[in-house]
Amino acid sequence: MTAVLEADALTRRFGEITALDDVTFTIPGGQVVGLLGHNGAGKTTTIRLLNGLLAASEGAVRTLGLDPSTDGPAVRALTGVLTETPSLDDRMTAREAMSFWADMWNVPPANVPRRVTELLERFDLAERADDRVGGYSRGMRQRLALARTLVHDPPVLFLDEPTAALDPIASLGVRDLVRTLASGEQRTVLICTHNLVEAQELCDRVIILRRGRVVADGSPSEVIHAAALPVRVEVEVDAEHAAGALAIARAASADRASARPDGGIVIEGMARDAVPQLVSQLVASGASVYRVSPEQASLEEAYVALYGAEAEA
Amino acid sequence: MSWRPIFAIVRRDLRLVARARAVVMPLVIVPLIFFVVFPIGAVVGIRAGGDALGELAPLIQMLPPHVVAALGPPPLARQLTVYLLEYQFASFFLLVPLMVCAVIAADSFAGEKERKTLEALLYTPTSDRELYLAKLLGPWLAAIGVSTLSYAVYLVIINALAAGEVGRPVGITPLWMLTVLWLGPAVGAMAISILVVVSARVRGFQEAYQLGGVIVLPVVALVVGQLAGVVVLDVGLAGILGAVVWLVAAAILYFASRGFRRERLLRQV
Repeated sequence: MTAVLEADALTRRFGEITALDDVTFTIPGGQVVGLLGHNGAGKTTTIRLLNGLLAASEGAVRTLGLDPSTDGPAVRALTGVLTETPSLDDRMTAREAMSFWADMWNVPPANVPRRVTELLERFDLAERADDRVGGYSRGMRQRLALARTLVHDPPVLFLDEPTAALDPIASLGVRDLVRTLASGEQRTVLICTHNLVEAQELCDRVIILRRGRVVADGSPSEVIHAAALPVRVEVEVDAEHAAGALAIARAASADRASARPDGGIVIEGMARDAVPQLVSQLVASGASVYRVSPEQASLEEAYVALYGAEAEA
Repeated sequence: MSWRPIFAIVRRDLRLVARARAVVMPLVIVPLIFFVVFPIGAVVGIRAGGDALGELAPLIQMLPPHVVAALGPPPLARQLTVYLLEYQFASFFLLVPLMVCAVIAADSFAGEKERKTLEALLYTPTSDRELYLAKLLGPWLAAIGVSTLSYAVYLVIINALAAGEVGRPVGITPLWMLTVLWLGPAVGAMAISILVVVSARVRGFQEAYQLGGVIVLPVVALVVGQLAGVVVLDVGLAGILGAVVWLVAAAILYFASRGFRRERLLRQV
């Protein structure tokens, strides 16, 4: 699949501070990719480099095959960026603002009114289209800023904290929208977010940055597995072999297993890789194994573990 | 160079200005004072001056001969009327493009930072040059518009008040044409150039406007000098002054353009 966004040994310094340090990734089209990390990890700098607002100190970056440092306007004509703050002027109405942005992105003049109306309807702003933005709620402002990113129908979207100001229902709407934009409309979406539950739910892939360096890159499952977090395992065997199974579980988990009143066994904090071995031992003991369910760690837990491990290193 | 986004920014900036009371007020009040209140006051004052006008005779005597000749023959009241309306107010006129450009440029450059709307603009497909040109054009075109309108209103008022007494149309002279079409636009460009530099170093509209206010001093010096008879803004001076101001403004704008880079602007976001 053709790469839409590429960074090769990308480094960016601001004086003494290294905001991005030897970052490499390739993002193919149609994916939703989460760029995760603490404040100051280098997420916004990455977006700025990919759009030609900043030049790399070292390494290379390409967006849709173009070099943003030399083809900045051409790159930005093909991308839509939701900035961290909505960047909207209170003195304009939503319709005026959208028409302005349509002009900025050179949407054919004859199409502007239709495109603006279409987007205002899509983002549920049509009824307030002629009200000044100053009177909008934070959620409405965020929706208008999202509508702006689509005014020129770009193939690549950068969304910086897209649900930060939204209530749960509106957040759900934005997540649905992102899914539609990526899978339905085949756009590439790069999301910066601190909401790791959202990232796990939405992203095909996550890249975790820490102090400008990539500390994890893969699908949410891959990143969680790579973190090698101990998992909670529930085991259910036939009643006749319950005591033996408990002893096997205790031996396999450094005594972290306990029996439940219903006869089941719970193992707290077992290495995920040890689960198949446990199942083999249970089966070998003659127990009828009805259920072994290792509880999947969350991306949030993996993120905390990765950050902790890096900090110790 | 793509003109559509440039004019989109110009239209947006001017629309925003029109909707900000703090910005519109000086744009209305200053021309109203200088081109409605003051001319009416001057003409009415001269008419009511009577013998006291004699004290102003030295002012006329101090003027260069070609200016005195242009004022026409006595009476003194008539000469004073022509001098004030055709020479003195021409220097007042320079305050209009100056003030309009300063106010709008402060709102356009520093105000954009203050309202946190700059970043989205930087992500548009405009080049740095287009963005810079758009930001310069808005205040300058507004200054030309407000100045021309002020001059038109001024012409109507002074001709209604004084054309009969002077015996010819007043205020339609080469000096006024040069002031409106050459020196005024140059002063406006100069104001923008200074506001571009000032705005890069401040965070808000008020701060930019106050710091940029120093640009009014040379024009105030010209006005005061003319009232004191030290200097007279005539066709020659207006031509030379216009050329000098254009050159200085162009030089400042050129050097300011080198700092007008997305990377630098981002630091102010």
